[in-house]
Amino acid sequence: MKKSMLQWFGILLASVGVLHFSAAPAFSLTPTWQDEESDGGEGSESDTDQDEDEAEDKDRWYAVVGGDIYTGTGAVLKGATLLSHNGRIVQIGYNVDIPESAEVLSATGYRVYPGIVAIASTGLFGGGSDLANSVDPYSQGMLLGLASGITSAVQGGEIAKLKRGFIEGTVMRSNFFQSMRLGTNNPSGKMQLREKFEEASKYLRKYRRWRNDRSKDKGPEPKATGIDMGIVAVLRGERRAYFSESQRADLLDIASLAQKYGFRPVISGGTEAWTVADELGRAGATVILTPRTRNDKSEQLVRDGGSSIENAAILHRSGVQVVVRSPSQGNSTMGGIAGRDVIHIPISASFAVRGGLPEQAALESITINPARIAGVSHRIGTLEVGKDADFIVTDGDLLHYATFVQWAVVDGEMVYDKQAEMYYAHIRPRAEAALAPAIKTDPGEGEEESSEEAGEGEESDEDASKDGDDEKESDS
Amino acid sequence: MKSKLQFAAFAVSLSLFGSAATAAPSERGDLEAPVAINGVEPGAQGGVGLAIVGKKFVLAEWGGRSVLDNGVLLVKDGKIQKVGTQSEVTIPAEYQILDVGDHWVMPGLVEMHNHVAGRFGLNDMVYLANPGLRASADVEPGNSMTKMGLAGGVTSVLYIPGSGTNVGGQGVLLRTGFDTYERCEIRNPGSLKLAQAGNPERWLMRPGRTLMNYNTRNTFRRGIAYAKKWEAYEKDGGVKPRVNPQWEIFRHLRKREVHISTHTQMYQVVLKTITMVHDELGLPFFIDHGTFDTWRLAAEAEKREIFGVLGPRNVDPPSRSMIAWAGSAPERMQGVAAGYQAQGFTRIGFNTDSPVIPQEELQLQAAIGVRYGLDDAEMVALRGLTIVPAMAGGIADTVGSLEVGKDADILITTGNITDPRHSVELILQLGEVVYNPQEEGRRW
Repeated sequence: MKKSMLQWFGILLASVGVLHFSAAPAFSLTPTWQDEESDGGEGSESDTDQDEDEAEDKDRWYAVVGGDIYTGTGAVLKGATLLSHNGRIVQIGYNVDIPESAEVLSATGYRVYPGIVAIASTGLFGGGSDLANSVDPYSQGMLLGLASGITSAVQGGEIAKLKRGFIEGTVMRSNFFQSMRLGTNNPSGKMQLREKFEEASKYLRKYRRWRNDRSKDKGPEPKATGIDMGIVAVLRGERRAYFSESQRADLLDIASLAQKYGFRPVISGGTEAWTVADELGRAGATVILTPRTRNDKSEQLVRDGGSSIENAAILHRSGVQVVVRSPSQGNSTMGGIAGRDVIHIPISASFAVRGGLPEQAALESITINPARIAGVSHRIGTLEVGKDADFIVTDGDLLHYATFVQWAVVDGEMVYDKQAEMYYAHIRPRAEAALAPAIKTDPGEGEEESSEEAGEGEESDEDASKDGDDEKESDS
Repeated sequence: MKSKLQFAAFAVSLSLFGSAATAAPSERGDLEAPVAINGVEPGAQGGVGLAIVGKKFVLAEWGGRSVLDNGVLLVKDGKIQKVGTQSEVTIPAEYQILDVGDHWVMPGLVEMHNHVAGRFGLNDMVYLANPGLRASADVEPGNSMTKMGLAGGVTSVLYIPGSGTNVGGQGVLLRTGFDTYERCEIRNPGSLKLAQAGNPERWLMRPGRTLMNYNTRNTFRRGIAYAKKWEAYEKDGGVKPRVNPQWEIFRHLRKREVHISTHTQMYQVVLKTITMVHDELGLPFFIDHGTFDTWRLAAEAEKREIFGVLGPRNVDPPSRSMIAWAGSAPERMQGVAAGYQAQGFTRIGFNTDSPVIPQEELQLQAAIGVRYGLDDAEMVALRGLTIVPAMAGGIADTVGSLEVGKDADILITTGNITDPRHSVELILQLGEVVYNPQEEGRRW
């Protein structure tokens, strides 16, 4: 941990002057950032161009102090400090030295969470497709999204940040999903898909043999004629295969396909996934689901079927990663019918808790898990040193229906303040105390009593997600 | 069975010390349902008594107690026999004890706007006013949507006609836990459905508000005249009037046995309901929907002690591009219930208009109310799911709170059911177990 911190500082110093430098050069130097789940790709191909204004090379420090930091890895640091430098988290803990020039947000009595990652959204960016060129950084949708805790969202085939007021550096990655058509009730469609996988897999083997062949007379590069290069990208781990299926039989087909060809499928829908949870778990699947989905079981189905409020909980127990999506992906409250759209995504996740999903897993289902399948978990989804400083400060448990986001920070920039914006300022306005000028020192509170938690937090880079935090029931 | 009885006696002695029995559940899935004796469940009609012992009872009394800690609730013959603290209530020796531990005990939820308890064959739009049509003819007890609603804690519903005409017909008040119409019926007629405006405009000739108000007033006046004839006959005798099914409902309305459930929303429309139905015609009604900018009228409604059953739109978003036809405040997300409360309105209830919002998500309506500014310090949210809708529909004498003499329609939950994270672990209706996720699987 400490070592990687030093490494990080070295890199930081080396790269002063690059304001929103994002990713590529740094990743190769700091393997600790890389998430094992990110399945290659690392976003290098799709990272937005980094022609940053070299003139704007002032160091940007941002600190949030005094809040209870829910890192999203399972660790909770009460009354701790998070310090970011030029948009990246450089320290989380106690007795943090905050540079003079730092902007400091006092969050005593509040909670700090990683920003929510919405796996499916429309209307949060004010633009259409091609977000890099159409994002409206002052759109109403972005304000509503941030107010609901969303700091990154997938729209179309892109994942981008809700970096209100900024145009550059918002799109993180694109084309991370490869849509697959399995063909429900269409056996020949399924056969065709299997054949495509078989051919792509044969091609890839041939190609790799050719590529690794060092002999001079190795012949021409194998032809890719007729090969589905999208499937090749899946087999190479560059994209995640994305299926929209819900029925038991189709889910089993996906699981067997995935195990045969060695890829980890993403399944959107998954209504009956709970009936084949073990198979999906063995296939390393991620299921994007809506906990409130309600479908009666088909009368022709002899086995278990239909929807279940326990879907997410059962999948989680079988090792399937769960991503929660809102019933409607729009940002509006549908004529005032609130609670079903993307701006109430924590409420959607809370229904998974009703079905037995542990609270920590529910938090992951709207933060790190969606970041993983979008291939950006090395940057967002949890609060860890080296990751982007994208976080929200809330007035309570993120999964509680009455909780509001008070502030949202993206890349170490304050992009939302509830009291300063329209729409929600009148609802339970912040007490004056919280509006007092921010203090500029780290209170170092709870150093003694919280040392245990701090220790837990420091391990969090690795696999602290397995440790339940003190306040929450851990799943056995 | 024998050991159960011994256990009961043991618990009685324990209760002297104000302590519950051991091994009380604290996690979901831990609860053991009462055991039937000779085929009759304890607490049900004709069975031995049932004593529910727990730490948190949501009483939801109107103008009374909100909660009771460390309580006992006795159920006998389907009714609540006694409620009190563990030191106040002595459990009779033969009663079976259901110790719910850390779970909460609360009254079943009450829905005053339901369209899913039947096959929705009740939005006939031939005539603009249909006071004689009855939703009871269309009920389908125990259908899948009703069962889902039950799993969400909804034990009583008012199944009503749609709003395709001004007077859609008579609603029917139903229990959701049983499989036959006879056992489900709470009261028929349950209500008269009035749609003041905002939907009946789609009727054949596309009437505007002038015709609709004329037609509604005309219909109601004829109904009142019919009822008055009967009242005169009942008082003074004379020639017995002829029964006309078209107008019978007005006799119940005049006696205030039945209330008008009024599809009414938006300031001007609700104002018309108040002035016409309440002030001018003197008929009992409750505001059903009451959404958009209706909250601006809440003080007027409060003066008349009118009930508001709010939903399904419990937020009034600003008009800018979100929805073009609303927006009571240009720059804020206005919580509907919060708006009522700010005007001093107290009778705040919630509805789903199921299937507009699925019946099982009734609790979410209260949660949304709180999220968008409703102050829940006085337990307004839970009352808005129980006693307030029960009073609005005129069935608070039997359901809506945990009070002696009421039906034993009781939920055992993992906590405050307003929070979507909490679930229903057991439901009793008339003292019988009607939902037990341990046995039949968790539906919601």
